[in-house]
Amino acid sequence: MALSKNRLVVSCPTEEQNLIKELVALSTTEQIRKIRELPVSFEEKKHVSRSNLIRRFGYSIKSVSQSLQLWRGIMKEIGGKFGSSVLNYFVLLKWLLLFNIFSFLVNFGFITIPLLVSDLSPNVSPNVSFRGLELLTGAGYFNYTVMYYGSYSNETFRGLVDYDMQLAYFFTISVYMVLCGLVLIFSMASSFKKNYALADAASNSAWQLLCSWDFSITNEKAVNQRKNNLRIQLKESLSEKAHRERQTTSEQLKQYGIYFGSWLLSTGLAVGCGASVFYLCQYEDEVRKSTYCCRNPEAETLLVPFVVSLMNMVIPLFFSLFNKFEQYSSQRKQIYALLFRNVLLRISILGVLCYYWMNTVPQKFTCWEPMVGQALYRLVIVDFIFLMLGSLFGEFLSNVIGTKIQPRLGVPEFDVARNVLEIIYAQTLAWIGIYFSPLLPVIQILKFFILFYLKKVSLTHNCQPPRRSGRAAQMKTIFIFLLFIPFFAGALSIVAYTAWSLTPSEHCGPFRGLNNTFSVIGEWIDDVNKLSSTQWVVWIYQNVIRSEIFYFLITLIILVLIYIFWQLIQGRKELIVLLRKQIVNEGKDKSFLLEKLVKCNDSSHASQTESRGRGKESEDLSSGAKRGFSRLQRSHPGHVGPATGPE
Amino acid sequence: MGTTASQLAKDSLSEYQELTFLTKQEILLAHRRFTELLDRDERNHPNPRVPMEVILTLPELKSNPFKTRICQVFSTSEDKDGSLTFEDFLDLLSAFSDSATLEIKSHYAFRIFDFDDDGTLDYGDLEKLVNCLTGETEDTRLTSEEMRQLISNILDESDIDKDGTVNLSEFQHVISRSPDFVSSFKIVL
Repeated sequence: MALSKNRLVVSCPTEEQNLIKELVALSTTEQIRKIRELPVSFEEKKHVSRSNLIRRFGYSIKSVSQSLQLWRGIMKEIGGKFGSSVLNYFVLLKWLLLFNIFSFLVNFGFITIPLLVSDLSPNVSPNVSFRGLELLTGAGYFNYTVMYYGSYSNETFRGLVDYDMQLAYFFTISVYMVLCGLVLIFSMASSFKKNYALADAASNSAWQLLCSWDFSITNEKAVNQRKNNLRIQLKESLSEKAHRERQTTSEQLKQYGIYFGSWLLSTGLAVGCGASVFYLCQYEDEVRKSTYCCRNPEAETLLVPFVVSLMNMVIPLFFSLFNKFEQYSSQRKQIYALLFRNVLLRISILGVLCYYWMNTVPQKFTCWEPMVGQALYRLVIVDFIFLMLGSLFGEFLSNVIGTKIQPRLGVPEFDVARNVLEIIYAQTLAWIGIYFSPLLPVIQILKFFILFYLKKVSLTHNCQPPRRSGRAAQMKTIFIFLLFIPFFAGALSIVAYTAWSLTPSEHCGPFRGLNNTFSVIGEWIDDVNKLSSTQWVVWIYQNVIRSEIFYFLITLIILVLIYIFWQLIQGRKELIVLLRKQIVNEGKDKSFLLEKLVKCNDSSHASQTESRGRGKESEDLSSGAKRGFSRLQRSHPGHVGPATGPE
Repeated sequence: MGTTASQLAKDSLSEYQELTFLTKQEILLAHRRFTELLDRDERNHPNPRVPMEVILTLPELKSNPFKTRICQVFSTSEDKDGSLTFEDFLDLLSAFSDSATLEIKSHYAFRIFDFDDDGTLDYGDLEKLVNCLTGETEDTRLTSEEMRQLISNILDESDIDKDGTVNLSEFQHVISRSPDFVSSFKIVL
């Protein structure tokens, strides 16, 4: 087949074909140069050079931004040795660090600095001094600093401009959360579009495995290992189809029994942890109230965070154990099941804690927001300590066990899913805590900074590159999705519930004396109403933001749009099926025509050698061959490679 | 426009920036690494050409299973011996850079996988591709039965016009469904 095609190409080439073949054969650099050498007027050349100037400016910006990138060398080294799935963890860590840096700048600039500059800064009561224990518990001396909600004032600072501290606090926090949400939504949508929506269900297929060979791996050992694993994966994908049909009914029943049992156990564990945290909080409360407590009241506040972090470290090991017993049909489902259970555990613990904070704490303390802020501070610090310990146990000890004590286990791999979930959880704590403690991002920045270097050292010393390749892009989508939906949305709803329903404390904080935090907006609108030039703001507030009809209409319109797009997608799917059938038919046409042309060509050559002259017959045949061939070129443009330049 | 001594002229630097996907730092780094590969007397040559064996000593290419094919694809020499000038080297880095588009990457990936350079991926090309990625020695190869089944699975999935080979459009179609491709088809100095 190929041979006959080549013969035809040789015998009837067209001019365009020649140029295209020549361009494709050149490198991209020379392509552009050659195209540029085409005779054009001076106007065109000036236009080209001017657009180049803009492009050159864009390039200089890009190179400056690249040199400023944090940790670029380290990330390249990690990506080269361990591949892109491990690199995703570090990329996510850097991204979350940037969130915290932005939050710190915004909070410090708009809330803390005005407070410090004005005379309204809080005064520390004279009998409290700084002891070392504050770093762990967050109470004591820190309670009187700008660390927590309680130290901020509710007055309007009159200086060069009227700076309303209440409004500043409210707007800074809410604008930051909304911006975070928007950034997450956009990155989730773009990641979903690139990585998930375009991939078929056949993600274990051979082509996907072959095309996702990681060219950036430079380590010889890693390359050999990847080759080994690719071979194993290819063999698995070949035998998977055979294996699936071989399960009998009794085996299937046993499989389902195991699934049911492990899911029941996991849910039970998660619920049990939540309940025990609740009872622990209540116990701590009673201990604090009774007179028996005064042994070391502050150290006892560390009990709840300690238990919470301990649970978060130990229970996932049980989940991994269950996972080993179950056999899922694909590795992807296995990872998803494990992830889901871990997320369930952390959400239930966090949910119980938030319920306790929202319901019980406001009744018990006069100044309750700083109490919640301190509790979150303690959680963040203890979580950090446990993360470091977890790195020690998870990676260092596993390495020691795997190489010296039980060589059969081998060097451990870097567990990307578990580590990513840990940093997502840590970031959630910070997001919840921003309302109660505006400077909590500082702690978070330090924590993530140290964690990056710690994990990098642990990775390079203790772990080996992951055995299974591929699917890094899908995991990245899942991680961003997890970051957004349970964790960020949960944090946002906690803060929103606090601002909406709970009464701020009477004697401290920027919202003292109000019924709820949102009435700040009401008061501001009243002030704005007094000026006639800004009546439109009041109109928008009353008729758009406060009216229910508006939201109802918007929801209805969005639902209708979703339905329309869904139907469009169905239509496109059917179109794809039809087009595929059409391509197959065209292929059959092509082979039929090629055979006919070969026969024509052969017969025309034969008649030429016989008659020794160009008769009208052979001319007709060769022009017919040319026409047929140009028709084929038009219907199969893919055969001549696209000459696209770098753009 | 070749390289003179050990300095890149400013206008050639900006021209390279326009014609490739690389930034200024990347081009300068590439120039430094390239001149390190040259001998002393070759450095004064206006447009030096480095033979393939020397290029393959670069750590980024040394362990790559496709190292010889990469050099052959990007080489502009008449003998097709895989030797690279500095501009070929920049072309290589540009195609493998972060900012190269999916079309460029898939185009070059197709040419790299096309071991016999006939413009399509037929059975022989696919077999060599699988062998390249799974191992060259006898005990690490797939058996011929497994190979046959694997390649027929591959062709089932990607050969849309059912002619037994994978042409560039079909290859690009498969690549567009593989989200990992863009991030893994990368070589950074």
